Amino acid sequence: MSGEARQAAAQDGAHSDDLVMRIGQLTRMLRESMRELGLDKEVEKAAEAIPDARARLNYVASMTEQAADRALNAVDRAQPLQNEIEARAESLDQQWQTWFENPMELNQARQLVNDTRGYLAAVPEMTRETSKELLEIMMAQDFQDLTGQVIKKMMEVILQVENQLLQVLLESVPDGEERDAMKRRMANADSRKGEGAGLVNGPQITAEGEDIVSNQDQVDSLLDELGF
Amino acid sequence: MDKGMSILVVDDFPTMRRIVRSLLKELGFTNVEEAEDGQEALSKLKGGGFEFVVSDWNMPNLDGLEMLKRIRADDGMKAMPVLMVTAEAKKENIVAAAQAGANGYIVKPFTAATLEEKLNKIFEKLGK
Repeated sequence: MSGEARQAAAQDGAHSDDLVMRIGQLTRMLRESMRELGLDKEVEKAAEAIPDARARLNYVASMTEQAADRALNAVDRAQPLQNEIEARAESLDQQWQTWFENPMELNQARQLVNDTRGYLAAVPEMTRETSKELLEIMMAQDFQDLTGQVIKKMMEVILQVENQLLQVLLESVPDGEERDAMKRRMANADSRKGEGAGLVNGPQITAEGEDIVSNQDQVDSLLDELGF
Repeated sequence: MDKGMSILVVDDFPTMRRIVRSLLKELGFTNVEEAEDGQEALSKLKGGGFEFVVSDWNMPNLDGLEMLKRIRADDGMKAMPVLMVTAEAKKENIVAAAQAGANGYIVKPFTAATLEEKLNKIFEKLGK
């Protein structure tokens, strides 16, 4: 490295040291003024909502995946049955067609009658199976209600975060048109806020926790315990 | 039990109303009507003719628990059997529903077999 280059690098170093120090000072100033105004609590509240939102989105993702799997698996099971019903009917029809065109062999006809009766006996069994799969596909759609409730909750959380962040912004914006617009937006967000939860919480996104039942058996035994 | 009985299905999600209606049809109950919240349900019930209610809990305007309490407080329909089908799965929910006079409690997601079992149990208790 030449002398000149070394000098430039040293100057750069001094510049960046200076810059880091200034950013540090600004950060400290910002943090102190936020604490003075109580805004750090608002940001904290907003940040706290994020893990909950993530857990809810996770629940929605896994519920929709499960529902898609259930429906597709049911289709996979029903399709071969449908194909069999179709193929066997076509084959029998073809054989009858041939026999009527040339009704010679009595043995052949007898065999055909037996095959046809066997087929007719088998059809209801197969259609019952496909009906079962159709019911399964229908039941898989219950995810729409469960995820819908969770998404509604998420929208409330997002509204709160919006509100808290607006509060922080509001304090850092000087009086004027911009500040008025923000105030209006906050008032609007406030009026859209949902009522307190209490007994209305929607689906449990995790099955953990003392006060949570995770399946119908637990509901039933709790009711038994209580004598209902 | 009379499979022609008139049943009111109350849920704010149309998908769930369709599912419950189809399951009831599968079980042989074809006389089913729907309401999308407790308020609509109450006004339909006051119109008369219903013999059974299957209701969600978490609904706008009037929730399922409040609806249940009002049914029990109304001389005209306090004997109406009410089966709760809900995603609310806290112990306090189940206790509150039972205390308010729910005849059964099914937690979502549920199966066709569970619905059938609970219906049978309720009819058995009512001696139908």
